[in-house]
Amino acid sequence: MSGRSKLLCAFLFSLLAAGMFIGGFCAEAAEPVVKIGFLGPITGSDAAEGAAARNAFMLAISEANKSGEFPFKIEVKEVDDQSTENVAVAGAQEIVSESDIVAASGFWNSGPAAASIPVFKEAEIPLLIWGAIRESLTNAENVPYITRSAPTDKQENIPLAVKVLDEMGYKDWFIVSDVGSYGDGNFNAFKAELAARNITPMGEERVPEDTTDLNAVVQKIKASGAKAVYCGSTVAIGSQLKRQLFEGGVTGILYCGISGMKTEDFLKIGAESAEGTLVVSPGVILEDTTEGNNFIKLYNSQGYSEPIGAFTPYAYEAALILINSLRACGEKPTAEAMTKAILSGKTTGIMGTTTFNSIGQTENVAAYLNVVQDGAWIPLEKSEYKEGGKRAFGGK
Amino acid sequence: MDMFFGLAVSAILLGCTYTLVAIGFSLFFGVMDVVVFCCGDIAIFGSFAIMGAYVASQSAGLFGILPFWVCVILLILIGAVFCAAWGLITHQFSIKPFRNSSELMPLLSTIAMGTVIKEVLGLLFKPAVNTISTAFGGESAVTVVSGRNPQGFPPLLLPGGTTNARYLIIIAITAAILLLLFLFLNKTKMGMSMQAISQNKELSLMTGINVSRVIIITFLIGGVMLAISGFLVGSYQKLMSFDDGAMYGAKGFSAAVVGGLRNTWGAVVGGMLLAFVEVFVSGYIPRGTAYSSIMAFVVVVIFIVFKPDGIIGDKSVEKV
Repeated sequence: MSGRSKLLCAFLFSLLAAGMFIGGFCAEAAEPVVKIGFLGPITGSDAAEGAAARNAFMLAISEANKSGEFPFKIEVKEVDDQSTENVAVAGAQEIVSESDIVAASGFWNSGPAAASIPVFKEAEIPLLIWGAIRESLTNAENVPYITRSAPTDKQENIPLAVKVLDEMGYKDWFIVSDVGSYGDGNFNAFKAELAARNITPMGEERVPEDTTDLNAVVQKIKASGAKAVYCGSTVAIGSQLKRQLFEGGVTGILYCGISGMKTEDFLKIGAESAEGTLVVSPGVILEDTTEGNNFIKLYNSQGYSEPIGAFTPYAYEAALILINSLRACGEKPTAEAMTKAILSGKTTGIMGTTTFNSIGQTENVAAYLNVVQDGAWIPLEKSEYKEGGKRAFGGK
Repeated sequence: MDMFFGLAVSAILLGCTYTLVAIGFSLFFGVMDVVVFCCGDIAIFGSFAIMGAYVASQSAGLFGILPFWVCVILLILIGAVFCAAWGLITHQFSIKPFRNSSELMPLLSTIAMGTVIKEVLGLLFKPAVNTISTAFGGESAVTVVSGRNPQGFPPLLLPGGTTNARYLIIIAITAAILLLLFLFLNKTKMGMSMQAISQNKELSLMTGINVSRVIIITFLIGGVMLAISGFLVGSYQKLMSFDDGAMYGAKGFSAAVVGGLRNTWGAVVGGMLLAFVEVFVSGYIPRGTAYSSIMAFVVVVIFIVFKPDGIIGDKSVEKV
């Protein structure tokens, strides 16, 4: 070997050794990581709600990481379920197969949530539901792995029923919902409220979730003489039905529904078509509390393109619950410890204090009503539709 | 009676949207003996192309320079260019390579092409939604994540007019397209070449008809028809989803089968029949909406079993 070759070999070996040393140093210095999963409809027909929820969830995690409180970095494995069962199940499997995953939070749609729950239970990874409201998702069989910080469909429909049936006194109802699990739950919940007041609806209709032409339903509503229409579906059906009612000349009625319709996408049917739509939203009016206002300011300061939706605060709250549980688990959280910590924890966030009952359902239940006024969602009590206000709902 | 009349109007409107897609199926099947399953997706792509072009032309101030109706025609033409392009891409990549394969191959590959078209829309369509939103009347700004969100179709059909007037225009446009297509197929050399190929491809070749050229022109005409269909669907439905194509494709194909797959008038009859079944089942049967599509497909099955050539389809006779 010539002197030149020896020199070259020595140089290469030194480079290799230096590389190994630096690599080893980096490995030594790498920050420990704890992973949590997030699932929601980030694209698809319910994307307005899902993407905003994702933003809020990531925001809470980012704030926790910035605080320097944890001896590890919290990483989020994000999955877009596209409001579809099979996509959600594949996403759930992707999450549980990740190493270092200790918990997950997910779902705005009840169908994808129900389909994915067995995956989390089998993997013994705790899942905190932030937005799906079908009552049966939390039950004795799913506890302790499945908990929910959002209210159930029944809990959402009660305050709406109290307002429109007891306070406003509507009696002539036509009820519409989709045939999916979300629609099913709401249909039964509102019908039960009517039955409890001895009211038989003048008509009822269940429509497939991909229905776009609801003119036949509009004709039925017209012919029934109903003075109020309840729509227990998401924005896709809810907005089309309201628009087609408006275009079909059915304007002098009350049109109300559930939180699934309270998204910015609903407003795309136009200010005139959407005007006067009344929906119930879970949670508290954020503007009325200091914590809520701080959240609004923080969220809006991030420059997200998706505005805060009905369940955005719940996704933020779910992240706070998981962060609080991580806090309770010490330096090396595990899925097992997180399961116990979530169920037995007590978290005070922007929606009040959340604790869970024996089947993993939140005990922090609150809801308020919203109305579309001049193309924007406004809390009923702050709108011109409030009792004694300048505007009135139809059908009275 | 009011309800009957209202349902009939709804059925005619829905039938119009099915008919134009069904004619797309008939045209392609007639000339190539291939069921181009992505017709519905191409039509929906057309409506999204019109939406995108609307936003771009608003930003460019086109509506301030040209009369409104000229702008609308330009937008439809842009949609037609996109649809025709997808038609040609479909022909080139999903049909031509399988010319000598089993007839199932182009069927499957056009289904796959439909998925491609749908996903391209979902992934790439990013309109400046604030503009579209304000086009409805200046409500608060609405932001959209991607093409996978529902999109508001701009008010291009008689903005400010009554709903009934808009419905009448939809019916009138469909009728005008049918008349133009009739004249084209029966009074022009190209149209008659298309019919000749539809009836007997081998004989057409022997008489000197340039079959490849006719096929390409069929895709161009079919693309234009599907773009107009997309425009009408958007104007009727107002809120569009990137995956609406599968449903319109299934309904359009069913309509074409019921009417007679090779016959353009069959597509009209089939489209209207399906729409009337759906709307009237929905209207007159309690909770019928959940079953309306099922009933429409039951009609298709009945026709496949008892009248496979369709209502006004030609009887296919195979000589031994």
